[in-house]
Amino acid sequence: MKKRQVISTVLAATMAASLGMTASAATEVAQNDLAYSGELEIMHYSTSEESEGNGGSDGFRTVLAAWDEAHPDITLNQNVLANAEYKTQIATLAAAGDLPDVFLLQGMNTIAWADQGLIMDLTDTIKASPYYDSYTESYFTPFKVGDQIYGYPVLTGGTCTVVIYDKAMWKEAGFDAFPSTWEDVEKAAEYFNEQGITTVAFGNGGQWQANSCFLSTLGNRYTGPDWFQSLIDKGGAAFTDEAFVKALAETQRLFTETSIFNADFNAVTNEDAREYYISGDAAAFIGGNWDESYIAAALLADNEEKYNNMGFAVLPQPADATEAPTSQNIGLGYAVAINPALADDPDKLAAAIDLAQEVTGPAFSTYVAENYALGGLTSAGEVDLSKFDQITQDFYNWSYVDTEPCEIYDSYINSAVWSVLNTDLQTLMNGEITPEEVAANAQAAYEANY
Amino acid sequence: MLTSIKPKTRTILLYLLVPVAMFVFTVFVPLVTALVYSFFEWKGGPRKTFIGIDNYIQLFHDNTFWVSFGHNIYLVIACIIGQIGIAFILVMMVNSKLVKFKGMHRTFGFFPSTISAVCLGLIWNMIYHNNYGILNWFLKKIGHPELCKVWLNETGLVMLLVSIPLIWQYIGYYMVIILSAISAISTDIFESAEIDGANGVQQALHITLPLIKNTMLVCTTLCIAGNMKAFDNIYVMTKGGPGTASMVMAMYGYQVSFQQTNMGYGSCISVAIFVLSLLVIGGSQGLIKYLTREKEA
Repeated sequence: MKKRQVISTVLAATMAASLGMTASAATEVAQNDLAYSGELEIMHYSTSEESEGNGGSDGFRTVLAAWDEAHPDITLNQNVLANAEYKTQIATLAAAGDLPDVFLLQGMNTIAWADQGLIMDLTDTIKASPYYDSYTESYFTPFKVGDQIYGYPVLTGGTCTVVIYDKAMWKEAGFDAFPSTWEDVEKAAEYFNEQGITTVAFGNGGQWQANSCFLSTLGNRYTGPDWFQSLIDKGGAAFTDEAFVKALAETQRLFTETSIFNADFNAVTNEDAREYYISGDAAAFIGGNWDESYIAAALLADNEEKYNNMGFAVLPQPADATEAPTSQNIGLGYAVAINPALADDPDKLAAAIDLAQEVTGPAFSTYVAENYALGGLTSAGEVDLSKFDQITQDFYNWSYVDTEPCEIYDSYINSAVWSVLNTDLQTLMNGEITPEEVAANAQAAYEANY
Repeated sequence: MLTSIKPKTRTILLYLLVPVAMFVFTVFVPLVTALVYSFFEWKGGPRKTFIGIDNYIQLFHDNTFWVSFGHNIYLVIACIIGQIGIAFILVMMVNSKLVKFKGMHRTFGFFPSTISAVCLGLIWNMIYHNNYGILNWFLKKIGHPELCKVWLNETGLVMLLVSIPLIWQYIGYYMVIILSAISAISTDIFESAEIDGANGVQQALHITLPLIKNTMLVCTTLCIAGNMKAFDNIYVMTKGGPGTASMVMAMYGYQVSFQQTNMGYGSCISVAIFVLSLLVIGGSQGLIKYLTREKEA
């Protein structure tokens, strides 16, 4: 009963506050009157280094700063860590039951953390949000358990698997665009190898890249989206299903039997591999939107001609795959979540909700749309692409218009399963384990942990 | 005279209080809590379910853990031979009358020990790098490009390759310990051995080594303890990969605890590292004592 009262008070406060909103400009947040004064902690991973060139991080930091300024009575304490450290620290704090007031929740932790009461059920709050009608509903999926929603999807909706290629280099190889089949990429590899150039640069040194930036899309080409949905819903699909094993076998073939990729793909990270592309040692690179923003910023600063030659493509289609040839895995991997302990202090909770709404709201969306041609949870309406250069326009259209979205594997299920699969994937790509064994190990981890 | 100063028991206890309190809070308390948590299923979050020795049963059947343990033993052996062995040889060389600038050798020998393991891992990553690394560059220069490899992706070689930086880093550390032990040996012994016609190798094996036996035992213990908990440079260089080819126990414990958020099982691994380290240290000390006793007999 008490909890309900608290929630309704908060909702009432939020609604009342939203009535007094002022129109938001690019980096102006809604000036909601908040009763709370004091400290509010937020933990995130948009470091200042990360925000250089990365629209999502830049937008997040900008809106946070604007919110902080708009609420002088509230001291916003930010704990900012790089992504890898953030994941470790937030897991430690979760285990200790000592999470900050507001933090970023990774999709794959939603079920386990909701089950343990570590994250607040925000369903009613989200539905009462003044921006609810502008939200892209599908972005909530990784943060839902049943019908309950546990976070405001944050940062920008970006792809995890994009092929970035140098149009001029591929033209020389006889291709007007990046090939749509692996067969053609193999043909191109013969040419590039003669030139001493790597055809496609890839880095799996951190072990997660092969999953997030390769298999998640390649798997969809074999299994289609229903298989993964069934895996999420425990609806009977298994990692050992033939279609998924085929995707693993194709991954193994591409990395062990062809000479498409850089020889050190398993020893270098995506950060190293993208440098091969930037330096011209590789004709293409496979990575995520964070790599794209880094490459674009680096080339724009140092090599404008190469920048203007940037092209974007989906992962080529394997010969024996039958599903969605233009698919790429895109989504929002993190959501702003709120510590349930805040329910004891309705004013503080109202402040936290306001913060969550603003960093994912129109102020953020407008900022990233106007400055980077990127989209977030809240639709910023039609993005006027005309003021952006051709490359930015191309990437926008490639990301949101011309391709078919599919799910990012590790936004779902749980980390124990992916940790096992990722470790095995590295061995698989060295040809030292069979696809069937990888599938069986992943299935065993899935059954034991999910 | 120092021996005439007799502090009160209270003073001694007071002085001891700070380090003991630090030790208790940083080592003893975490160890005991890890032991307690190892009996729980604790997958992050506040909820813990008591499951008795289930984690230990799982550990017993966990192939990855035992592979990691094997890698730790490999590291221990490689580092005892590499770190202490090379340090001993270098000390003998530095102590030789023929060597000039002894101080400089000592300082430079110790230098790598002052570099953090993370920086060291990055430096050696560059050395092993297949495109820009000095190792492949050297192989090409001497006309053997066919020997060039993606070194850290070689499953069969990777343990050796991650051991080399560790060995290189700690040679200087053991050199300092061994040097101080040798400086305590009276020079008369060496002089009389020289008069008797003993050469450098004979002096090293039959005089120096037996006389610094206890120091070598301490070095071995430190070496085992250090390598049973090896983590940082492997984390930077390979993250335990490719696959689990360079996985060590601490790295696996970290992966289970923080990537798989399985704190209960992670605690169980920590306890296992502690127990196995004690067993290996105890076993090696027993072995050394047994071997040296045989010689004396």
